[in-house]
Amino acid sequence: MVSKESCRNEIRAAIRQLSDRCLYSAAKWAGEQLVGIEQDPSNFTPSNTRFQRGSSSIRRRFSTNESISTPQPSVGFSQAATPLPEEDETIDGDLYLLAKSYFDCREYRRASHVLRDQTSKKSVFLHFYALYLAGEKRKEEEMIELEGPLGKSDAINRELVSLERDLSALRRTGAIDSFGLYLYGVVLKEKGNETLAIASLVESVNSYPWNWSAWSELQSLCTSIETLDRLNLNNHWMKDFFLGYAYQELRMHTESLAKYDYLQGIFSFSNYIQAQTAKAQYSLREFDQVEIMFEELLRNDPYRVEDMDLYSNVLYAKEACAALSYLAHKVFLTDKYRPESCCIIGNYYSLKGQHEKAVMYFRRALKLSKKYLSAWTLMGHEYVEMKNTPAAIDAYRRAVDINPSDYRAWYGLGQAYEMMGMPFYALHYFRKSIFFLPNDSRLWIAMAKCYQTEQLYMLEEAIKCYKRAVNCTDTEGIALNQLAKLHQKLGRNEEAAFYFEKDLERMDAEGLEGPNMFEALVFLATHFKNHKKFEEAEVYCTRLLDYSGPEKEKAKSLLRGIRMAQTGFPSMDLEHFPI
Amino acid sequence: MAGLTRTAGAFAVTPHKISVCILLQIYAPSAQMSLPFPFSSVSQHNRLGLYLLSLTKSCDDIFEPKLEELINQLRDVGEEMDAWLTDHLTNRFSSLASPDDLLNFFNDMRGILGSPDSGVVQDDQIILDPNSNLGMFVRRCILAFNLLSFEGVCHLFSSIEDYCKEAHSSSAQFDGSNNDLESLTHYDQMDMEIYAIDKATEELELQKNASGSVPFHLHTPEAIFKVIEGITSGLRVSPKESSRTRKKITEATLVSSASSSTVEDTLVDESLFLRTNLQIQGFLMEQADAIETHRSSSSFSSSSIESFLEQLQNLAPELHRVHFLRYLNKLHSDDYFAALDNLLRYFDYSAGTEGFDLVAPSADCSMYGRYEIGLLCLGMMHFRFGHPNLALEVLTEAVRVSQQLSNDTCLAYTLAAMSNLLSEMGIASASSVLGSSYSPVTSTASSLSVQQRVYILLKESLRRADSLKLRRLVASNHLAMAKFELMHVQRPLLSFGPKASMRHKTCPVSVCKEIRLGAHLISDFSSESSTMTVDGSLSSAWLKDLQKPWGPPVVSQDSGSRKSSTFFKLCDHSVSIPGSVSQLIGASYLLRATSWEFYGSAPMARMNTLVYATLFGDSSSSSDAELAYLKLIQHLALYKGHKDAFAALKIAEEKFLTVSKSKILLLKLQLLHERALHCGNLKLAQRMCNELGGLASTAMGVDMELKVEASLREARILLAAKQYSQAANVGHSLFCTCHKFNLQIEKASVLLLLAEIHKKSGNSVLGLPYALASISFCQSFNLDLLRASATLTLAELWLGLGSNHAKRALDLLHGAFPMILGHGGLELRARAYIFEANCYLSDPSFSVSTDSDTVLDSLRQASDELESLEYHELAAEASYLMAMVYDKLGRVEEREEAASLFKKHIIALENPQDVEQNMA
Repeated sequence: MVSKESCRNEIRAAIRQLSDRCLYSAAKWAGEQLVGIEQDPSNFTPSNTRFQRGSSSIRRRFSTNESISTPQPSVGFSQAATPLPEEDETIDGDLYLLAKSYFDCREYRRASHVLRDQTSKKSVFLHFYALYLAGEKRKEEEMIELEGPLGKSDAINRELVSLERDLSALRRTGAIDSFGLYLYGVVLKEKGNETLAIASLVESVNSYPWNWSAWSELQSLCTSIETLDRLNLNNHWMKDFFLGYAYQELRMHTESLAKYDYLQGIFSFSNYIQAQTAKAQYSLREFDQVEIMFEELLRNDPYRVEDMDLYSNVLYAKEACAALSYLAHKVFLTDKYRPESCCIIGNYYSLKGQHEKAVMYFRRALKLSKKYLSAWTLMGHEYVEMKNTPAAIDAYRRAVDINPSDYRAWYGLGQAYEMMGMPFYALHYFRKSIFFLPNDSRLWIAMAKCYQTEQLYMLEEAIKCYKRAVNCTDTEGIALNQLAKLHQKLGRNEEAAFYFEKDLERMDAEGLEGPNMFEALVFLATHFKNHKKFEEAEVYCTRLLDYSGPEKEKAKSLLRGIRMAQTGFPSMDLEHFPI
Repeated sequence: MAGLTRTAGAFAVTPHKISVCILLQIYAPSAQMSLPFPFSSVSQHNRLGLYLLSLTKSCDDIFEPKLEELINQLRDVGEEMDAWLTDHLTNRFSSLASPDDLLNFFNDMRGILGSPDSGVVQDDQIILDPNSNLGMFVRRCILAFNLLSFEGVCHLFSSIEDYCKEAHSSSAQFDGSNNDLESLTHYDQMDMEIYAIDKATEELELQKNASGSVPFHLHTPEAIFKVIEGITSGLRVSPKESSRTRKKITEATLVSSASSSTVEDTLVDESLFLRTNLQIQGFLMEQADAIETHRSSSSFSSSSIESFLEQLQNLAPELHRVHFLRYLNKLHSDDYFAALDNLLRYFDYSAGTEGFDLVAPSADCSMYGRYEIGLLCLGMMHFRFGHPNLALEVLTEAVRVSQQLSNDTCLAYTLAAMSNLLSEMGIASASSVLGSSYSPVTSTASSLSVQQRVYILLKESLRRADSLKLRRLVASNHLAMAKFELMHVQRPLLSFGPKASMRHKTCPVSVCKEIRLGAHLISDFSSESSTMTVDGSLSSAWLKDLQKPWGPPVVSQDSGSRKSSTFFKLCDHSVSIPGSVSQLIGASYLLRATSWEFYGSAPMARMNTLVYATLFGDSSSSSDAELAYLKLIQHLALYKGHKDAFAALKIAEEKFLTVSKSKILLLKLQLLHERALHCGNLKLAQRMCNELGGLASTAMGVDMELKVEASLREARILLAAKQYSQAANVGHSLFCTCHKFNLQIEKASVLLLLAEIHKKSGNSVLGLPYALASISFCQSFNLDLLRASATLTLAELWLGLGSNHAKRALDLLHGAFPMILGHGGLELRARAYIFEANCYLSDPSFSVSTDSDTVLDSLRQASDELESLEYHELAAEASYLMAMVYDKLGRVEEREEAASLFKKHIIALENPQDVEQNMA
């Protein structure tokens, strides 16, 4: 295991270097991890622990989790101990200082201009970086100027061409440092040259692993596990952060959780890791756990907006109106012009049934960030609620076009078409969504329902789907019940009895009662009686007797029939006699 | 140009429009009395006016001309003063050095407009009437500019810089050559009467209105209306033409754009479009048409279209029709997944409402979208990609949804597509599919056979199409009906729906009626083409599938023709009817040819095929063209012998190699088989026959007609091998099969074959009933040629009973002669001639010595025809008879000649190997 102290020293130096180059978000990220490292008791000072939770309730509550995941010492940590690069100039040039202050005042073009003839690596990087940002800023503005609402735009960063030219020249002469490589990678990515971009970014992170921005750019280029596996990365603890993140985006949640668990050994108090863990847990639908994690997170970092949209989704799923409104209010006060904030407010209105308002806020979120995928999907949901199916389909389709692996949007499309009475058409979309998330019983059930519709009435296919749903641990227990009923409908009583029994077991285990229970009991009792398995039949009948209502009478008559048959009377169907 | 401002609705100021404004300033400078400076004559002045008018008319085009092109056009228009104009234009542009200059420029523009109270115009003053076309244009420009935010002005400014930069390099080259022209401007015609500007435009408008469809700017260089960027043909915007293109593509793409007025309505409020206008739609349609017609030619690359469409999509993300075009493109390049993806995407985005203006847009369906059309398209796509079961499911759903939403138009199309699908799938494979599917239409008819279902679907579709006045659908339904009538004859329909008594007669008259109805409606439609846009929107996709069907079942063997491949090349047709309509008409001719062939008139069949090949060859789909080729080759084989046929086949094979070989392959096998049979090479014949049988059972299902044909041929081989009992066995089982599957025509020919077998085996008495049955079958189905050949067989049978029946046989033969000689193929005719000779010879009352010419003539005819047919067996018989006759007459030399001929044929018959070689 890496020593915490060495980690800390690395990060401290890295933060300085990153801020010198104005890579602020990377510096921010590094800073979060720095305070996330558990303090040694030796140099424990009260001021240092201000940011640390003295006692992490999460850790205690889920201590079981931790014990399971044994850290894999051999995997990531032969620790090639990348040396921290020395700064090439000890004293910063005057022009650099001026440029940096311009940069800090967000006067990018000015900053870039000041550094136009500088030769020190830091200045050169800042020169290009400022130029890039100036172009980005102009691009954003142009988008607004040129565009109507919602939709693509052909605005481009006009600096890209010159940047690519200059950076590739630098690279050819070898005068480029790891930061320059990062920028080069970004530029290449924007120009659509992905393979070169990946190569450049890999080179960058291998020589300077502490730049989280480079890692996240690299992640965004790893759209498949194959690409990820093909990367030739040096071992470093930053790589584990990267892998955890990349796995998560590739929907390999358990692998990602394992990575984060491991990292938590060093960065025990990292908010980032906790949020990422929560995200993964959310994808695994562990809502209770996620809620606790987010509560904890908010307690430690009350003004956090990142990832809070996820929290709001959890609250939405749990229908916690009050908590959701509290969250919305808080986030609104912190920063109302963040897509996350708008999304949270939209969620709140949606939960309150005010779908028009919800749509409005989702739209605002999309205005703030066009690629904000979940807003499109959520908006689709709202339109479905508003029975405006074409609009819903449009919204879902946009989500899918942004990220083709968004299974919720595919599912939404399927649902919308099913609503319009086009189940066969909808099947294609359900299939798509299942392709991306094959382990979700809800999707299988939705597809089965589609097959079951009276228009299609393809029961065999429905049965197959329900079987898959059962295999994916169907939490709502619809699949078993439906399987039993379908088999009953098709006259396959043996199979029906099998599934009714299983369903009954499940309901017993979860302590549920209801019409499904009666149905199962009645069927099983009659079924076993008909097959002369009187003991089993009696067991089910007596269970039925516990309930009142028509089922009780039915059970009684069944019991009587059983007795009759057992005592050897000629079989008579007593059910038809009035009692 | 794409990134220009488009804030003010559909109209945005662009550098090109500024150029037009500058020219307008020259044309009508403010406060200018009489003819302004550079113009030497009023006519010159008017010329520029007309040019400007057309420029303003075309300024809604998708692609605006670059400055360079504008200058080129100016050179054509401006005659002597073009250099001045160009200089002025570029100078004016270069004087725009800051956004402020733009502002001033538009302020100046205001000056050239007359005051609203135009009553006080002085006689000789040039004033731009604010309400004239040019005036309106200026006002729109000024308004659009005033609406621009400062950012917008900046964008305009920078795009002007680009605009000028592009032209800079090119303008240099003709600057030098033209600078002397300036001196040529003179003013000697200044005293001409002065025109108010709008008078000219008024006149123009009048002229336009009077002449109706005459394009009002014929005199302008046509380059102006060309779509730039080198894509396909120019898209001129004369009213007539543009409506034509629109119409043409309407059916080509399924994207009908309703009448022009509604399109314009939608244009106004769709501010998201890059350039919302007719032209972009029209352009897309043009593209779609290109995709459709050129799909088989190798010169047409789908990837170039694809890249262009991608680009377009980036520029105009809200233009969903692009997705549909990409679908079409993918469909034709056989990329299933991409096609599916794009189709679904199109309907997801557009909800089927964009482009499918089957009903007025205000209809109640707008809330729900028109996804049923999506289903229809999806179904047809599945069909095209060879998933008939999927297609049927999807179409069933389409039927249900369109019923739910009471979209009758879509329902009519869907039913038609369904019936087409069912009739395509054949009998054997369809029944299983239909059994599992649940549908309001098909389930009611679950007890019916597939043909009956097809019939019902067609009827339903026809009824709806009729009431909705969907002419094209009606027409194609009539054609399908005719085809149906032709193929499924007189089936007893005992358990047929509520009207159980309804019987289903088929005769040539009804087929002909259907064909005529179809063609009639089309001609109707082509005459009043302007109103059709609403109608035919879906039919091209429908047609696309319609083209494929006319398959082998109706291809009969006994007809012939003479053909030369040049026929296919001489079609210079510049008809103004849309492509799909001409395809439909073409299909009707093809069908007509088939029906003639069927009812036994080879010349008529050939004529119709030729009409098709010459008139509709270039607009037809490749499968239709292929079919026409095949028909002509068949004729060739029957009337000119196999040598010619094989030569033609080689040409056809080269032509259709890439598209689909199956039909050609089939024909090749058939021809090879016949030839082998004639030459007595039974082994080869058997091999061909086996391959034919293999083709009949494909993965998609069993083609019953083909299967029957294969066993028919097998029986013929057995017959030729003199295995009579086996041949008879095959014939009997074949008859049972035909009966089981309702193949009535085949029944008739099987009966004939059985009669033939008995005749050959010398058992004439047994053969008679078969021959008679065959004749009666032919009679009831109006199969005249087949009947004639059955009559011939009957006569032969009579003769086989003894020479005392020769008279009767001769009478029978003479009754059938007109038909045989007029329409029959070489073989049949030869047979008839030989038989006639035989009859005479066996007639005791006939004396050879007195009436030898009667016999010899027939025999000579027969042997001539058989020579080209290479039918050794019959040829040997003919020469034998000839030799006998000559012997009787004592003409020794000629007898020896005939005998040697006889010997030659017999030897060839016994040694078929050498024949096989030159065949391969």
